[in-house]
Amino acid sequence: MLKEVSRLFFAGIDIGSTMSKAVIVDAAGVMRAYVVGPTGAEHRRRANKVMEDVMQKAGIILDEVAYIISTGYGRVNVPFADKQVTELTCHARGVSALFPDVKTAIDIGGQDAKVLKIKNGKLIDFLTNEKCAAGTGRFLEVAAETLGLDLNEMGRISLQTNTPVKINSLCTIFAQQEIISRLSEGQPLPDILAGVYIAVTTRVVKLARQLKVEPPVVFTGGVAKNVGMVKAMETVLGMPVLVPEEPLITGALGAAILARDQAFRLVQDGRLEMKKKELSEAYIDFVEKDR
Amino acid sequence: MSAYFLGIDIGAAGSKAVIIEGQAILAAVVVPSGTNYSSTSAGVKAEALRLAGLKESDITASAATGIGGRNAGAGSYHGVILCDARGTNLIFPSARTIIDIGGQGSQVITMDEAGRVINFNVSEICATGSARLLQVLARILQVNMDDIGPLSLKATNPSSFSTSCTVFLETEVITRISQGDKPEDILAGIHRSIADKISGMSRGVTLQQDMVVIGGGAMDVGLVKAIEEKLEVKVLVPENPRIIAALGAAVIAREQHGKSQ
Repeated sequence: MLKEVSRLFFAGIDIGSTMSKAVIVDAAGVMRAYVVGPTGAEHRRRANKVMEDVMQKAGIILDEVAYIISTGYGRVNVPFADKQVTELTCHARGVSALFPDVKTAIDIGGQDAKVLKIKNGKLIDFLTNEKCAAGTGRFLEVAAETLGLDLNEMGRISLQTNTPVKINSLCTIFAQQEIISRLSEGQPLPDILAGVYIAVTTRVVKLARQLKVEPPVVFTGGVAKNVGMVKAMETVLGMPVLVPEEPLITGALGAAILARDQAFRLVQDGRLEMKKKELSEAYIDFVEKDR
Repeated sequence: MSAYFLGIDIGAAGSKAVIIEGQAILAAVVVPSGTNYSSTSAGVKAEALRLAGLKESDITASAATGIGGRNAGAGSYHGVILCDARGTNLIFPSARTIIDIGGQGSQVITMDEAGRVINFNVSEICATGSARLLQVLARILQVNMDDIGPLSLKATNPSSFSTSCTVFLETEVITRISQGDKPEDILAGIHRSIADKISGMSRGVTLQQDMVVIGGGAMDVGLVKAIEEKLEVKVLVPENPRIIAALGAAVIAREQHGKSQ
C-alpha cells in the first residue's frame, strides 16, 4: 500500500503581486519540490509555468496530483486549481508546518505586509497593509532604484554598520527624497541602507504591535530573504526572529498542505470522484501512520 | 509711525514671507524651500522687504512657522495650525473650517470668529494627502502642474483607482494610460482619491461653514472641486492660498507686539 500512496501528490500555487510560487507535498504533507518565479503581467501563463516546473522538479505528472489549491493576489487566475484559499489561511498553515510553536508571523511581500497571530497552528488574528508602499518590498525597490543598487547587495552593505541614519518619513515618496539628502550630506552608504531597513521595519512593527508580538516570531515573504531586513527586524522587535530556509514559499506550502487535508476530507465524505481509490488508500495509510 | 510685521513660513516644498501693515498685505513672496533653510529664509525675507520698499530695521516684529521656521531668524516661532487659523481669519472672517493641503501632508482645522483654534487633525506625512501626489503624476502624464486643474475639469468619465498610495498609483496610472483612459479622466480620478483621503481625515472634527481650502493644493481648481463634491459644500479659496500660514505668522507677531506694549 505504501508504494501506491507514494505516487500521490498535492500542489499549492501562490500567485503573488511580484513572485509566483508552487509547492508539491506528498500524502504525509512533506514537501517534495518547490519553484519560485516572477509573476509578470500574464498571471495565467505564469500559473501554468510554475506548475509545470514544480512537477518536473518533483519528477511527477499531473495525473499524480490529486488536489490543487491556489492562493495569493492572483489566485483567481489559476484555471487548473480545484479550490482557492486566502493567503492568510495558507500562510498560517505553511508557517505552522515549518515552526509548530509559532505565535506571531510577519510576512513582507512585494506590495503588502501582513501580521498573523497563530495559536496551536490556527490563525487567531491578523492585520494587513496593502494600502501604503511604506512597509512593503516596494519601498526597498524604490530605495534600490534611487541608489542604483541590487536588492541583495543592499542588504549585505547595510550589515557593515551599527549606526543607521534616521529616515524620518514613513511615506516612500518622501523617504526617497530623504535618502538623496542624506547622500548629499555625505552620510556613509551602509548607514543610509541600515536606516532604510529600520524605516521599513518600523512601519510593519507598528502594525504588529497592534496585535501584541509574542515569540516565537517567524519572518517570511520575499523581503525576509534580505539579511539587512532580518537584522533590522530583530533590532526593532528586540527579539530574535526565525526565518525559513526559503521564506517566499510558506503560502504555497500552506496551500499544498491544505490541498492534502481537503482531499482527505472529501474522500471521507465520499465526495471526491477523482482517483478516489488511491486517495482512500492514502488517507487510511495517513491515519494509520498518525496513530 | 507705521508698524510693519513680517511672517515667514518655511514649508516642506515652498517658503513664504508676508509683510503686513494693519490689515493690509504689503508684500507676499513664495520661493522653493531648497535644502538650506536659513539661506532660503534670508532670501525670502529680503525679497519681501524689497517688494514692500522697506528696510529690515522698519520691521516692528516678526514670527516664523513651518518645518524649517525655527531656523528663520524670526522673533518667535509658532505652529502651522495656529498660523493657518489667524491668517485665514484675516482674509475670511466668516471662515470656521480650514483644509490646508501642503507639500508633505494636510490638516483640517476648525476655529471661532476670532481665528482661535477649536480642533484640528493633522495627516501623517503621506504624499497622497499632499500636493506632492499631483507633482508625481504631472511628470508621468507630461502636463504642467498649473494645467492639471483646468484639464481635469474637462473629464467626462473619471478613472477609478484601487489604491490611494502615491507609489502604487504611479503604477496604476500607467496601466490606465495603456488602457486608453484620457489624461483629464485620470486627473479627475486622482483628485477624487485625494479628496477621499482628506475627507477621511476630517472625521472627528465637526466641519462648519464657511470652509476654506488653503496651501499649494488649493491652487488646483480640480482638487478644490473634488473636495466640494466629496464634502457636499462650497468652499472659499484665497487669492494666494500658499501664503496663509506666513500671513498668520505676521498677524501673531502683531498680536504679541500689541500685548507687550
